[in-house]
Amino acid sequence: MEQIFFWVLAAGLLISAVTVVAVRNPVTNAVCLVSTLVFEAALFITLEATFLAAVQVIVYAGAVMVLFLFVIMLLDVRVELLGKISWPKIVGVGLVFVLALVALPKLFSAFPFAGEALHWGHAKVPGTAQDLGHLLFSAYGPLFLTTGVLLLVATVGVVVLCRRDTEA
Amino acid sequence: MGGEITLGHYLVLSGALFLIGLAGVLLRRSLLVVMMSLELLLNAANLALVAVGRFQGIPDPQVAVFFVITVAAAEAALGLAILVAIFRIKKTTAADQMASLRF
Amino acid sequence: MIAYSPYLILLLPLFAAVVIRLFLHPFPRFAISVSTLACLGSFIGSLLLLFSGGLGGTIAIPAIPWIEFAGLKADFGLLMDPLARLMATLVSGIALLVHIYSIGYLKEDPHRSRFFAELSLFVFSMMGIVLADNLVTMFLFWELVGLSSYLLIGFWFDRPAAGAAANKAFLVNRIGDFGFILGILGVWSLFGTISLVDLPSSLAASPGGWAVTAVGLGLFCGCLGKSAQFPLHVWLPDSMEGPTPVSSLLHAATMVVAGVYMLIRVLPILELSTVTMTTIAWVGGAMTLLPALIACQQNDIKRILAYSTLSEIAYMVMAVGLGVTGPAMYHLTMHAFFKCLLFLAAGSVIHGCHEVQDIWKMGGLGKRMPFTAIVTGIGTLALCGIPPLSGFWSKDEIFAATAHHPALALVSMVAGFFTSFFMLRLILVAFGGSPRSEAARHAHEGSASLIFPMLILAILSVAGGFLPVNSFLGASPEGTHASWTLWVSLVLALAGFVPAFFIYRAATRDPLSIPILQGKFYVDEFYNRVLVANQDGLGKLADAFEGWVVRGFLVRGSGVVARAAGQGLRLVQCGQVQVYATIFILGALSLLWWILKSGVR
Repeated sequence: MEQIFFWVLAAGLLISAVTVVAVRNPVTNAVCLVSTLVFEAALFITLEATFLAAVQVIVYAGAVMVLFLFVIMLLDVRVELLGKISWPKIVGVGLVFVLALVALPKLFSAFPFAGEALHWGHAKVPGTAQDLGHLLFSAYGPLFLTTGVLLLVATVGVVVLCRRDTEA
Repeated sequence: MGGEITLGHYLVLSGALFLIGLAGVLLRRSLLVVMMSLELLLNAANLALVAVGRFQGIPDPQVAVFFVITVAAAEAALGLAILVAIFRIKKTTAADQMASLRF
Repeated sequence: MIAYSPYLILLLPLFAAVVIRLFLHPFPRFAISVSTLACLGSFIGSLLLLFSGGLGGTIAIPAIPWIEFAGLKADFGLLMDPLARLMATLVSGIALLVHIYSIGYLKEDPHRSRFFAELSLFVFSMMGIVLADNLVTMFLFWELVGLSSYLLIGFWFDRPAAGAAANKAFLVNRIGDFGFILGILGVWSLFGTISLVDLPSSLAASPGGWAVTAVGLGLFCGCLGKSAQFPLHVWLPDSMEGPTPVSSLLHAATMVVAGVYMLIRVLPILELSTVTMTTIAWVGGAMTLLPALIACQQNDIKRILAYSTLSEIAYMVMAVGLGVTGPAMYHLTMHAFFKCLLFLAAGSVIHGCHEVQDIWKMGGLGKRMPFTAIVTGIGTLALCGIPPLSGFWSKDEIFAATAHHPALALVSMVAGFFTSFFMLRLILVAFGGSPRSEAARHAHEGSASLIFPMLILAILSVAGGFLPVNSFLGASPEGTHASWTLWVSLVLALAGFVPAFFIYRAATRDPLSIPILQGKFYVDEFYNRVLVANQDGLGKLADAFEGWVVRGFLVRGSGVVARAAGQGLRLVQCGQVQVYATIFILGALSLLWWILKSGVR
C-alpha cells in the first residue's frame, strides 16, 4: 500500500514540476505548480504530517498561488518569447548540473537508504495540529512571534512597492 | 522497484524536485516562472525535512517547514510586488532585460 | 592606610608636576610654590624615614600588586632599606636646594612654570629609581628619568644646541637602556625573579658561566648610559646646554649617579662573574683619568665641571667593580654635596656675567663675587680630596680599596693629580687676574635664593665627612686608612696644584694647547665618522629598498594586480540575475562538494 502511494504521488509530483519549468504559457505553469503543491501535500500525508499537509494546501496552493494567478492576470503576460542562446550561461548551467549530479548521490549516501521502512501508523512523531501547536507556542514561541513581525513587514513592503507615485 | 519505501526514496525524490526547480530558476526568461521555480526549490527542501523528521522521530523539522511556508508566502508576496513594480517601468518580465546594474 | 604613607614622598612631586602642567601654567608664582613645597614635603618625609626603623633595618611597606603573569611578578612596592633611605634623603634634599636656587636663577624666564613642572617630574622619577623594589619598576622610573633629563636639557629648546644636546642625551641613553633591559630579562630568565628583595636568596641557583657574565654586562650597560661612562659618555658634556640648576641636580648630583646606585643594587648578580667585575673596575679606572685629562683643556666652565663629574662617577664605578659598595655610596653622597655646590657656583658666575661661560672671558671675579669665589674654593678642595673636607674621606676609602690593585690605584691617583690641576686652572682663570670682558667687569652676586643653597652645600662639603653616612652603609672600613694609598693620593692631589699655579697664575690666554685633549680624544668625531656614516649608508639602503621594492614592487605591483583582477572580474558583472544565480549555486555546490570530500562518515 505504502509503495503504491509513494510511487504514484512521486510520479505525479515530478511530472507536474517538469511541466511548471518546461511549458511557456504562464497560466499552465501556475496550474501545474498548484498540482505539484497538492502532490506534495499528499506526500506529507504519507509521512503522517497531516497538519502540514493542510497548511500546504491552504497557504501554498490556496493563498500563494492565487497571488501568482492574480499577478499573471494583472500584468497580462503573454506566452514567453525565447531569448538568445547565451553560451556562457549554458556552460555554467551545465556545470551546475554536472556538479549537482555528482554531489547529490554522495550526500544521499550519508543517509540510510535501506533503513527503517515506511509503515503507516508507526510514526514516532504525530504531526497533528495539536502537537505542532504545542511546539510552536512553547519552545518556538519567540520565533513564532517573530514570524508575525516578518509577515507584517512584508505586507507593508508590498503596499509601499505597489503604490503609484501619484497617490503619494 | 518494489521493496519497502525508506528515507532514501524521499530524499532522492526531493533531490530530483530540487534539480527541476534549479533548472527553472537558471534557464527560464520569464521572472514569473523563475519565481514559481523558486517555490519548487523550497518545496523540495520541505519534503526532505518532513521525511527526515518522520524517519528520525523528531518533531522539529515539521516546525521548520511551517516557518518555511510562512517565509515563502512573504517572499512570494514581496517578489511579486517587485515584479509588478518592475513591469510598470520596463513593460516586460524577461530576466535578461533587467541588466541596468551592469558595470 | 597609614602603612602606605611612605608613598607620599614619591607621589608628592608627581602631584606637583601634574597640577602645574594642568592648572598652574599661567601662574609661575604658584607653580614655583607648589613644586618647592612638594619637594620640601618629600624631603621631610625622607628625613623622617631615614631616622625611623633603625639604622640597619629595612622598613616594611605594603606593596601594591601590579603585574603578575607567566611567572613574572612585579609589584609596585618601595624598598626601604638604609641605602634607599639615605639616597632618597640625598636626592630630595639636593633637589630642594636646587629648587630654591632655581627660583632666583630663573627669575626672568617666562617659562619657569614649565621648568618647575619638569623639575618635579624629575624628582618623582628619581625617587622612583631609588625606592623601586624590583628591576621592572626601576626600569620604568629609569626611563622617566631619561625623559625628565631630555625635557630639562632641552628646556631652552629654541636654542639649536640645546635641542641637539637633548636629543643626543636621549639617544645615547637608549643604547644603554637597551642593554639594561636585556640584562633585566636575563636576570628574570636566569634567576626567576626580578625583585631586588628576593634576588640575593635566589642566586644560589645561578648557572654560572657566560650567561651570568652577559647579564651582568647588560646591567652595566644601563649604568654606562645613565652614568655617562665610556663609551656612552659623550652626552654628558653636551647636556650642559640645559639651565645650570639642571646640570647641578641631574647631571652632577643625582641622576647620573643612578647608574652607580643601580650597580650597587644588583651587586650580588655582578659578583657572580669575575669578568663582569673586572670590566666594571677597569672601565671605571680608565674613566677616572680620561675626562680629567680632557677637562684640562676645556674652556667652558660647565664643561670642565661636567668632565670632572665623569671622572668622579668613574671612581664610584671602579669601587663597585672592586666589590666595595660602602665607599662607592659614600663618595656618591659626598660628591653630590661638592659637585652640586660647584655647579651652583658656576651658575652663579654665569648668572653674574650674563650668560658668559668661557672662563677666558671672565677673570677677576674673585673681587666682584667673593662669596661665589669662596664656595668654589671649598668645592675644589673637597673635590680634590684635601683633608678634612668631605671629598677626602670618601676618596680615601676608595683608594684604600685599590690597595691590592696597583694599576688601578696608579691610574685613579694620577686622575686625582689632573683633577687638582684643572680645578685650580678654573679658579685662577675665572676668579683671579683682571676682567677680560665687559660682562666680567660688571659681574655681581646673585640674590639670597642663589646664596642660601650654596651656603648650605658649602657647609655640607666642609663637614660632610663628619656626617654619620657610613652608619647607613654597614661597617666602615676604618682599619684600612693607614694604607700607603692615603699618602700617595694626597701627595699627587696636592702636586696637581703646583703646575697649575705656575702656568695659570697670570695667564690671559691658555699657554697650553694640546689638540687631542681639546678634541676630547675625538670620540664624538669617531662616532660621527664611523657610526653616523654607517647609519647614513644603512638609511640610504633602506630608502632604496623602500623606494624600489616596497613602493615600486609591492605597493604599485599589488595595485596593478588588483586592477587587472578587477578588469577581469568586471566581465562577470553582467547584470544578469540568472548568471549571478548560476555562480552562486556553483559556489554553494563547490562548498558542498568540499564538505562531503573532507568526510561526512
